Amino acid sequence: MLNQRTRIILTFLVIIAMTFTIFDLRGGKGPFSSVRSVLSSALGGVQVATSVIVSPITGIGSWWGTWGDQRARIAELESQNATLQDTAIRSAEDRARADALDQLLRVAGVGRYRIVPAEVIAVEAAQDFTWTVTIDAGRNDGLLTDMTVLNGQGLIGRILSTTRTTATVVLIVDASSAVGARVAGTEEIGILSGTGRQDSLEFQSLDPLADIAPGQALVTFGSRSGRPYAPGIPIGEVVEVSGTAGQLTRIATIRPFADVSALSIVGVVIRPPREDPRDSVLPSPAATPSGPSDLASPSPAPVDDGASAAATATAKPQKEKAAKPVPSSSARAATNSGSN
Amino acid sequence: MWMRQSTLCASIIVLAVMVQLTLLSRLGLPGATPDLVVVSVVALALAYGPVAGAVVGFVAGLVLGFTPPAGGLIGIQALIFLVIGFLTGGVIDPRDRTVPILVGMVGLSAGGAALAYALLLAAFGTDQVIWDEVPKLVLTSSLYGLILAPIVVPAVAWLVRKITPETAL
Repeated sequence: MLNQRTRIILTFLVIIAMTFTIFDLRGGKGPFSSVRSVLSSALGGVQVATSVIVSPITGIGSWWGTWGDQRARIAELESQNATLQDTAIRSAEDRARADALDQLLRVAGVGRYRIVPAEVIAVEAAQDFTWTVTIDAGRNDGLLTDMTVLNGQGLIGRILSTTRTTATVVLIVDASSAVGARVAGTEEIGILSGTGRQDSLEFQSLDPLADIAPGQALVTFGSRSGRPYAPGIPIGEVVEVSGTAGQLTRIATIRPFADVSALSIVGVVIRPPREDPRDSVLPSPAATPSGPSDLASPSPAPVDDGASAAATATAKPQKEKAAKPVPSSSARAATNSGSN
Repeated sequence: MWMRQSTLCASIIVLAVMVQLTLLSRLGLPGATPDLVVVSVVALALAYGPVAGAVVGFVAGLVLGFTPPAGGLIGIQALIFLVIGFLTGGVIDPRDRTVPILVGMVGLSAGGAALAYALLLAAFGTDQVIWDEVPKLVLTSSLYGLILAPIVVPAVAWLVRKITPETAL
């Protein structure tokens, strides 16, 4: 393809170029340094001359410079704007978070649970078919496996495993979850199993003759020393009963109070109350038609102040299932407020 | 003829280097500096063929390496421009050249030169290359090459026909 002459010329040029490079790479005063200085000064002279000739044109450079300054200014203002917007959103978010904490404290206060508040920091991918989340409290906060996790609405799940600073929570809707539950206002107990679907649980009454009707609420039955589940925590309400009284098994479908797909602030019960709070923790008095706990008369749900702020805030925290900073000092400060 | 051709090439190269270093690099354009030298090398290679293109590229690279603000390794640019001059001078038969092909070749050369320079600098063991900047530099260099090509290539071709009519392809 290449003739002899071409090859010689190319090889020669490549070798010279490489030689220059290698000597330059070696640094110091190589054999080419004098050549270099002579050439540089000659070319430098030409350059000075050219520079003088083109100097009127390089004034354009200042235009570009100004343009760059303005861009920097715009960028600065934009970042400032973003910061302010962020602050505005954050304050709405903080309010929503404070509301969630308030509700949690109400539950903890009425039920006399000693709780550690925590925030959900990770959620298992939906396509994995397991309902587990990670919270940002762990062994260092006194968490142990099988402790009860709840939020302002009701029962969330129990702790499956812990690390120093985080814990994995298996939610009540997970198919592997089973909770001992009691129908509020009665003595009917049974086993509440997860179905793997986020809005339905199955309640199987131990007494086949039990009279269960839609609208009745379920609370946890409680285990010894409160693990895995502390007593009296609202779980959900009956939406449907299949089978008739007297059948060997009666299955009720339960809709959980807590929306497990939108968890943010949760509480971990590190010490159950000395006495079973019975039905007192249930949010509305209507759900507790009878029973000794009526005396407790739980305070109504916190008033929703500032509907506009809540409107902006609702969408945001619900999406915040992924990594999020540790709750602020207000959340940490609440750690011991739930104690009696 | 040989004398005139050399003088013409040398003048164009020195002019390109000077304009590039004193004018184009000071305009503060975003991204890379428009690589007028590469464009000129390609233009001369297109006019005189691969061997002359290689020699012109080699000389242009050395001139650029020796001209004062140059901070890189001398010889790398000579090597790159040599290859570019050789390839652009010979890769496409002069009868098949169309305007989009010529402009595209210049753009590719300018971008390729920027990329090759970064790669060779790294290959020679220097740690000057900021890899985050490389894609932007390559892209903008190509873009400026595309912009310069329709001006420089016809101008050089006209000069070549005017001064050395017997060698014009």
